[in-house]
Amino acid sequence: MITVNVTVNGKKYKRDVEPSKTLLRFLREDLGLTGTKEGCGAGECGACTVFMDGHTVNSCMVLAAELEGRSVETIEGEAKEGVLSDIQAAFDRHHAIQCGYCSAGMVLSVRELLKRNPKPSVEQIKEGIEGNFCRCTGYQQIIEAVLDVSGQEGSKGELHYV
Amino acid sequence: MSRILESELNVQGLTAYIDDSDEPRGMLHGTLAVTPCARGRLLGIDPRPALALDPSVRVLSAACVPGENQLGASVPDEPLLVEGEWGFKGQGIALVLAATQAMARKAATLVAIDYEELEPVLDAREASSRGSYILPSRTMASGDTSSAFARSAIVVSGRTESGGQEHVYLETQGAIAEPREGGRVFVLSGTQAPSGVQHAVARVLGLSMNAVEIETRRLGGGFGGKEDQAAGWAALAALGALATKRQVKVYLSRREDMAWTGKRHPYSADFRLGLDAEGRILAFEADYYQNSGAACDLSPAILSRTLFHAASAYRVPNLRVTGRMCRTNLIPFTAFRGFGAPQGIFVMECALDAAARAGGWDPIELRRKNLLKEGDVFHFGQPLANCHTGRSVDRLLEKSGWKSLRAEMDSFNASHALEKRGAAILPLAFGVSFTKLVMNQGGALVHVFHDGSVSVSTGAVEMGQQVSRKIQVIAARALGISEARIRVESTKTGTVANTFPTAASTGADINGMAALAACEEIRARLLSFAAKRLGAELGNLRLEGEFVVNGCEPTDLGWNKLVDEAHLERVDLSAHGFYATPGLFYDMKAERGSPFAYHVYGCAAVTATLDVLRGTYRFDTATIVHDSGESLDLSVDLGQTEGAFAQGLGWAALEDLRFDSKGSLLTDTLSTYKLPDIHFMPEMEVEFLADAGNPKAVMRSKAIGEPPFMYGIAGYFAVLDALRSARPDLAPSYDLPMTPEKALAILTGAGAPAKGAQDASALAPPKPECAEGALS
Ligand code: FES
Ligand code: FES
Repeated sequence: MITVNVTVNGKKYKRDVEPSKTLLRFLREDLGLTGTKEGCGAGECGACTVFMDGHTVNSCMVLAAELEGRSVETIEGEAKEGVLSDIQAAFDRHHAIQCGYCSAGMVLSVRELLKRNPKPSVEQIKEGIEGNFCRCTGYQQIIEAVLDVSGQEGSKGELHYV
Repeated sequence: MSRILESELNVQGLTAYIDDSDEPRGMLHGTLAVTPCARGRLLGIDPRPALALDPSVRVLSAACVPGENQLGASVPDEPLLVEGEWGFKGQGIALVLAATQAMARKAATLVAIDYEELEPVLDAREASSRGSYILPSRTMASGDTSSAFARSAIVVSGRTESGGQEHVYLETQGAIAEPREGGRVFVLSGTQAPSGVQHAVARVLGLSMNAVEIETRRLGGGFGGKEDQAAGWAALAALGALATKRQVKVYLSRREDMAWTGKRHPYSADFRLGLDAEGRILAFEADYYQNSGAACDLSPAILSRTLFHAASAYRVPNLRVTGRMCRTNLIPFTAFRGFGAPQGIFVMECALDAAARAGGWDPIELRRKNLLKEGDVFHFGQPLANCHTGRSVDRLLEKSGWKSLRAEMDSFNASHALEKRGAAILPLAFGVSFTKLVMNQGGALVHVFHDGSVSVSTGAVEMGQQVSRKIQVIAARALGISEARIRVESTKTGTVANTFPTAASTGADINGMAALAACEEIRARLLSFAAKRLGAELGNLRLEGEFVVNGCEPTDLGWNKLVDEAHLERVDLSAHGFYATPGLFYDMKAERGSPFAYHVYGCAAVTATLDVLRGTYRFDTATIVHDSGESLDLSVDLGQTEGAFAQGLGWAALEDLRFDSKGSLLTDTLSTYKLPDIHFMPEMEVEFLADAGNPKAVMRSKAIGEPPFMYGIAGYFAVLDALRSARPDLAPSYDLPMTPEKALAILTGAGAPAKGAQDASALAPPKPECAEGALS
């Protein structure tokens, strides 16, 4: 067992972890933060995306033992007191969520993208979330949500009736 | 309360899927020791090395199954745990339980399996030539094809292949079982078919159905993969729970899920199409070789949908199609969005493609000329009603600016040697209803609580398609109250019984109608109470905007007051609703009847740009005109259209399911199995057809889940079109998916690798000892 001191969503934790335990499992099993999902466990799908020291990582590819002194933010820290964050609200408005299994990772990848680039083009949005698979949506409603939250709504893909 | 039921919780990570449930102390984790090769015979199991790992380890084999060791719902050919001979790699031999998931997985690898390896058959045609079938073949026919071929000015024939497809629902399969008093069991199951799972668990455990309760909260995607295929995991968890009197969780890793669960059926087919000199179809024949895998699963129903969609959206006066369910030594293939229809439609589109080339016809004009029209009769005898195929195609051509697009592409291609552009359209006529009559029924239970809140339970499973959202809309409209008052519950077999899977795009149609019936019953009771209370004419009263309205006059009876007073007057505020889709019948002997409540229409155009040196391509645009009736929620239907199209495009162009020559799955990770990522998808422009209200479904809506999947097929032909601009000298074989590798092979004139395999066989071996019992 290795002892780590880590801040998660602003809260400090001191925990003993097995050397082989991933950050993903640590969050889900040890802290009960099950909003972060496992889609592959192998760094291939992005469902497990969280922030570590201000940058997104695939939490299935990070060991909990590396956490000493670091700070982690998960989807549970995105809404404040039950009020959806701007990105979450845009996802909801644009129906960018179907089954929801990719959504935690998507939302955090978008957060990272917008931190770097507050008004991304469609191409830049694609680059920003290219590591996140979604099997349900075909991605377009996600792109529309990102355009909306970055103040560029209406630039693409509206609903049409003949 | 949220507007869209799930999404606000979902987007905060606050919804609980199987793997998010609390794991109480003492819970055991289960996994499988599996068959190590595609075909073999089990000689013995030695659990001792596994048991030595940890005192918590338990190993349960077929002999430990108290009921029937069988999952096969229609044909008993799929044991839960192998006895004697087995038919595919990755089938369970023993359930291995341990205190942690990691330990269970380790222990499973330690179970010693003594076996004899047998030669597998992997190819459908090879299996067919050996007479290895799941069930006898099935033929649908109309008219007289031989005389029609004789009259034809042009006859084309050919062979097509279409590949399998991995579901890759982002949440893998799993179940948690909990022993309950009196030998009963509760299972939280990730399934599209809770009642089906209930029946399977009861059968395996030798219990009556009322001793088994299944709950499904929500799925992180289903797409057909959690229909019959979810039963095994629930049955294993339940078996473990009853054997150990502990909670047991069986939850698959991505790799296990890919290696151990069924996928879309690969098909091989031969076609023959005859046309007159003007390009009117006179006759079509096809033989489909469905690779069914090692067990029946849903193969017969999937094959029937292939046969029903053999003519796709076209009028074919003389038709004869035969489907064969070829038993091979691959994992049992199963339901996947479209359910055999994409495989059939692809063959018809290949035939039209060949015909357009042979006759020198414009591919679009050829398709338009042969489109189904109102009153046409399908080859199985059902007349076509409320047909919007022609309208969809016309609108699509207009919307996509097809004429100028084509001209622009042609001039681009004439002036570019290293890049070529291509385009194709796909008209759609997709039949809605389960093709198995009995399945077209559903129930609902609605409670109005005396505080005015409403709870709706149905047999529908929420898996991201927002069926709960649609049911919420239906209930709110029926009761004349705000959507925020309505909660759609998780799916529980003890609440609504004898349901059928949420599948065949019918989830909202059937369960929505059942919920509507229940709401209408409660509304009627409330209104007759209100009539008495107000001294008003019952016929003048209705519920609207949360008030009882009398003719044009508002009354003082608001919803809360109405419900509260009715409750005090002992009015029953609960109702059960039931719906059985009317008008369906089918005579299997004659292969004639009316199997579909209605059809969904539409048309898509896809454009692509090909890199002539590399064989890589990108899809540029997808334009879709789709008929979704009077949509219950446009953004939901838009999401379904785009998402289904994405999966269809993935199947048609990208997703390359591969097995090695011994029947081992090669594509068992997301790095080896490529699925559509955000760069793969073209910009999608979707328009819903106006004035397309559907008299045959709930509130004039239409089913949406599967039909848009077919549009992806246009992607295959768009790339093929570009390839032909580059290499007009070649006639490539029809082999889907059109991966960049295949495109490159075509560009360089190299043939596709030959397919091949060997033997298949039956099962009927001796029961092994209970592995655990042998030790004690
Ligand atoms: S679960 Fe971590 S990348 Fe898929
Ligand atoms: S919403 Fe289901 S995977 Fe993205």
